[in-house]
Amino acid sequence: MVDKIRLEGVSYSYERESVLKNINLRLQPSRFYGIVGPNGAGKSTLLKLMDAYLKPQQGIVFLNDRSLATYSLSDLAREIAMVPQHSHYFPFTVEEMVLLGRTPFYTRLGKPSEADLEIAKEVMEVTGIRHLAHRLVSDLSGGERQRATLARAFAQRTGVLLLDEPTTHLDLEYQINTCRLLKDRVEEGVTVVAVLHDLNLVASFCDHVFVLDKGNLITEGVPTKVFTPDLIEEVFHVSIARLHHPVSGRPIIVP
Amino acid sequence: MKLRKVSAIVILIVAVVLVATAVGSVHIPLMEVLGILTSKMPGLSAFVHRDWSKAREVIVLNVRLPRVLLALVVGGGLSVSGVLFQGSLRNPLADPFIIGVSAGASLGAATGLLFFIPQGLVGIGALPLFAFVGAMLATWTVSRLGKQRGRLEPTSLILAGVAVSAVLTAIVSLLMVLRIQNLQDVYIWLMGSLSGRGWQHLAVATPYVAIGVVLALWLAKDLNVYLLGEEAAHSLGIDVQRLQSLVLIIGSLVAAACVSVSGVIGFVGLMVPHALRLIVGAEHRRLILHSIWVGAVFLLVTDTLARTALSPTELPVGIITACVGGPFFIFLMKRGSGYYGR
Repeated sequence: MVDKIRLEGVSYSYERESVLKNINLRLQPSRFYGIVGPNGAGKSTLLKLMDAYLKPQQGIVFLNDRSLATYSLSDLAREIAMVPQHSHYFPFTVEEMVLLGRTPFYTRLGKPSEADLEIAKEVMEVTGIRHLAHRLVSDLSGGERQRATLARAFAQRTGVLLLDEPTTHLDLEYQINTCRLLKDRVEEGVTVVAVLHDLNLVASFCDHVFVLDKGNLITEGVPTKVFTPDLIEEVFHVSIARLHHPVSGRPIIVP
Repeated sequence: MKLRKVSAIVILIVAVVLVATAVGSVHIPLMEVLGILTSKMPGLSAFVHRDWSKAREVIVLNVRLPRVLLALVVGGGLSVSGVLFQGSLRNPLADPFIIGVSAGASLGAATGLLFFIPQGLVGIGALPLFAFVGAMLATWTVSRLGKQRGRLEPTSLILAGVAVSAVLTAIVSLLMVLRIQNLQDVYIWLMGSLSGRGWQHLAVATPYVAIGVVLALWLAKDLNVYLLGEEAAHSLGIDVQRLQSLVLIIGSLVAAACVSVSGVIGFVGLMVPHALRLIVGAEHRRLILHSIWVGAVFLLVTDTLARTALSPTELPVGIITACVGGPFFIFLMKRGSGYYGR
């Protein structure tokens, strides 16, 4: 199978500070990938390299077996959607904001088509914000805004979805909801890559996890295999107990 | 905008223009203003019965009309420039002067008024040129200083703008202290006024404002996306750096053209876009279109008040824009729905 995204020998540094060192990884379609690691490990940078927001000083990022550098920005916008860690909220209505996700598909002076409006309705339905369509995003609660942001990214209808800490600042219900929504995209064939802090969420939802520490890819694999007490202690400097979920059998990590 | 809305706006503008041209220290009846104007329109002049004095025709055509039109152009221009700066810096406190346009224009104008014009080196007609060059030099300096790691960064830009403006304003004050002659001219210019402006000023400012408006509308869709933040905008296909530079250049050119003919008229470029955003929302195409006519009408009304309120004494229009705009702005803010960037 052709890799959706592939990084070959990718290194990145801000000024002189090396943030990522010689990263090699491959991402397949229809899989949910988690990226974990302590603060400053290079997780956000890795994500930004995958959508060409940052350009690697060494190595190549491939999308569909073609170097990311050869894509135009507007072509990339039809391939990869990004939910950044920090978003700004302005007095757009929810529907207007979701429709911004369709802007790569119509011309500069054009307007969203019927099909665009239909897609916006659909993703608002899926994310459970259809009833908020005409409310201002700036008036919504944190959880509702996050769903509007997700809906905006879903509206791009891309094969790759990158998310930088999509569950931070959300309560437990919204965290689970967000991950379920992402899982649904995966079922539809999308490659989902999310930076997550909650290892239990990773263990419950991700098919594959990358563990970063100090700019190095320490290990990767199925979360059940990867999250051993030794690894957690080595990377996060905390000792944990590993229990098993009584129903699913997935590991539960308890500090 | 719907056709009915557009016609209502056009009728409003025409009505305000007619009234503003009629009132003043010499009152000219509305019908006479209408007569004088139609007598100059090709094809319509035959239908007009001329029964006004030559003096009144001169007042309407050479004194009031160019000033009225200039108020529309400058008001619209400053508002659109304000939209561009608030959008590209994602800062509700940004105005057309935030990155040094006004301070640069002031220094340029002061240099002209204190050193060149009294000596007869150039005529008073060259004043807009001095102001324009000053404004562009200041903006260029600020945008160079506002770069971090080769990227334009809103916070550094704003800070650089504050610092450069402070230095330039201090130099203007120094010049005023050291060269007392022509002091009043400089002072009045600094307060901003449309007094005594004629067709040549209109000819200087209009092309820049017109081109600026067209380009602003061209970039409206990108500015909407940019409001989501740089990373999100990038992932939606926007070249963020290019957009920022373009918007700064266009916004500064429009602001510089306005300032160069009118002096520093505060508050319009800050308040009109900000207030409209609370009313019509953040979508830029709508925001720009509404900013043009609201800014234009607002400055025309306030300028008309400035020259009639204490007639025959003329007030600097900046005093009126602040007195009228301030309370209205506070009202909108307190009403509180959809406050910018919350």
